Amino acid sequence: MIKIFKRKSDKKEYYVSSAPKYKTTLGDVIFNILNYTFFIVFTIACIFPFYYLLINTISDNDLVRKGAITFIPKGIHFKNYISLKSVGDLMQSFKVTVARTVIGTGLMVGASGLVGFLVTKQEMWGRSFWYRFIIITMYFNAGLVPWYLNMAMLGLTDNFLGYIIPGIVAPYNIILVKTYIESIPAELEESAYIDGASYFKVFLKIIWPLSKPILATIAIFGAVGNWNSFQDSLIIMQNDASLYTLQHRLYMYLNQTTNIGQVMKSANTKLSASTQAALLNAKTIKYTISMVTVIPILLVYPFMQRYFEKGIMLGAVKG
Amino acid sequence: MHSNEAKKATKKHSIEMIFYLYRFSIILLVISLFMPSLNPGRITSLINENMSLFTSGISYSSLISNTLRSINLGWVQGETFKILFIGCMLVCAGVIGAVVGGCTSLGSLKLRRLGNVFAIIGNVISLIGFGTIRAAYSQISMTAYPERVNPEIPIGFYIIMGLIIFILVLSLILLIVQPKPSENDEYELQQKYKLFLLIIPFIALVFVFSYLPLWGWRYAFFDYKAGGTLSKDNYVGFKWFKFLLENKATRNDIVRVLRNTLAMSGLGLATSWCSMAFAILLCEIKQLRIRRFIQTFTTVPNFISWVLVYSFATLIFSSEGIISNIIVARGGIAVNYLLSDQHTWLKMLVWGMWKGIGWSAIVYIAGISGIDQQLYEAATVDGAGRFRKMWHITVPGLLPTYFVLLLLQISGILSNGMEQYLVFENPNNTREIMVLDLYVYKLGIGSGKIPLTTVVGMVKSIVSVTLLLGANKFSKLIRGESLI
Repeated sequence: MIKIFKRKSDKKEYYVSSAPKYKTTLGDVIFNILNYTFFIVFTIACIFPFYYLLINTISDNDLVRKGAITFIPKGIHFKNYISLKSVGDLMQSFKVTVARTVIGTGLMVGASGLVGFLVTKQEMWGRSFWYRFIIITMYFNAGLVPWYLNMAMLGLTDNFLGYIIPGIVAPYNIILVKTYIESIPAELEESAYIDGASYFKVFLKIIWPLSKPILATIAIFGAVGNWNSFQDSLIIMQNDASLYTLQHRLYMYLNQTTNIGQVMKSANTKLSASTQAALLNAKTIKYTISMVTVIPILLVYPFMQRYFEKGIMLGAVKG
Repeated sequence: MHSNEAKKATKKHSIEMIFYLYRFSIILLVISLFMPSLNPGRITSLINENMSLFTSGISYSSLISNTLRSINLGWVQGETFKILFIGCMLVCAGVIGAVVGGCTSLGSLKLRRLGNVFAIIGNVISLIGFGTIRAAYSQISMTAYPERVNPEIPIGFYIIMGLIIFILVLSLILLIVQPKPSENDEYELQQKYKLFLLIIPFIALVFVFSYLPLWGWRYAFFDYKAGGTLSKDNYVGFKWFKFLLENKATRNDIVRVLRNTLAMSGLGLATSWCSMAFAILLCEIKQLRIRRFIQTFTTVPNFISWVLVYSFATLIFSSEGIISNIIVARGGIAVNYLLSDQHTWLKMLVWGMWKGIGWSAIVYIAGISGIDQQLYEAATVDGAGRFRKMWHITVPGLLPTYFVLLLLQISGILSNGMEQYLVFENPNNTREIMVLDLYVYKLGIGSGKIPLTTVVGMVKSIVSVTLLLGANKFSKLIRGESLI
């Protein structure tokens, strides 16, 4: 039974047109050339920043400072990555970000799975009301300031839990899981209930394993969201720099060097060697941090891609 | 005989009524845990007035956050706050017992009675907690600086204690009047309630993080400054609403911010067809491998944060970026394009498209693969060329999806998010880049103008919801299907 079900959900490849051949016209050729040119240019525009970032972090620092690096890396070395270890609060931010990504995503996936399962149960007391009660929060919010005051009231500002608890219930993901669970043949569950299994047992032994594709989808998207989080760190962690996320830290480094640059411009004087060294350091540091924050995304990306369409198409089905 | 049964029925009925009252009081009790104005632990004005009993009971560090100075100065003793914390913790712990009682009251007779016992124990613990808080109060009232410390038993102390005593009495009554369970009665709960109890924790989370902030809208009606209090004295009614319209500087700000917001959302709406075009053109590339490759790499930017996008922007367009490097190498002067104030709206649009178009095209690509292939074959037989097939089959096939997404986009016209604009903002372009979300952040969180920004957020939320409902209605009218 399970095998049949799995085969059903196999991915469909794109349809390749097998229509009868027709003559290629001049218009077709011109269109193809323009089309390919457009996509090649756009794809390069998407790839190039990543490439340029990489070669700036591994090229010789002096050459980078002089602006001699354009398209090819020169004097390749990896010292920048090693020197990151000694950059002040960076390790702390890294730990915080990893912790929130792992804990936050784990709890979110568990909660979405359980809630998604529970709301498919017609016999629940007030089921449709509670389902709407959760889902409707996607469409309104009280606004940033009341939200912040609420977090302050709950003692979640300057508190690591402020990253975790508000994200546990994610309405959109609940819709995705619910829609998926509804597509699982009901007989599987029913036979388990007849054998005397409890709801919780059915959830753990049947629903959870069968929903793995959708749970993996929301896990990956949740993890990326947590890894990229910046706004909540900015708003609720104002007084505790040890809780800044990596993106927040990177934002600060980016701003810092801009400011130094502006000071340099306005003062229009020769900078002392130490200031210059600091500036240089800040420049390579910010690019190396950028690279470090982007690497995990690029690593999970191939896995993510498998789930793109599945997630999006399920999302198109309303709750 | 007959009247006896009727009596039994009325008794059962009245027990049910008591249960309703009992559950209702427990819900009230739980909500009051999160109300800062009802915090019984706020026995001195040194304690932050925005802190609820719940916070006081779980986080010692937040409880004492404002009091360190007065402890150091010797106005109050540090021990007092430890006692107070223990008291608050006991009250909170006791409420758990009451909650268990409330939940189990949905079950069988035996389970209900067990729940009553839990509630009684919990309430007694809570009352001990109140005694502890009272002890902390008597210690604090002996301070030598009453005018600084303002020792006072808050009104919430009496309200919550009254509620707890009420629940305690109800539990005792229920324990007495309920019939004894028979021998073969078991602890059981109906399926529908079991499921309900399983989902309750999540409903509570949704309530706390999505509905409770609405309670913060009251700040819009007070003259509130960060760290102050809400009271009759600073109640100002609709002052801030009027201020928004009448104060010239603020009004100009709002008009400018709204213009930016609508302009950038408008540009987004005007170019929303681009992702559909992107998808259609991409599907015209017949080599699957190449198409996959392009799709893969044009989607990546969607998954990096705006901070990283800004990092890329400095890498390319700043005075230390590649363009400046090339200019300098040819003998020119480095230019920081990011600092320019020209075409800000357009630039933001382009960055948004660079980041998002590959991703937003996916839904259309999936839509194209869902179009019936027979249509294309029939068209080919009829002699339709490539472009006519695109225009007459693919585009109409995708229009419903486009329509839905467009309506959703229209309802989100006031919410462009703030991250993109925050990272790209600088003193030169701030006039053009300031959108509503960023404005609220800067003014509310940055400058502490809480009432004013609450008003702005309120109006924004109401307009957005109205737009969404309007779009939904429109969709029902046109397509016969609702959006949400």
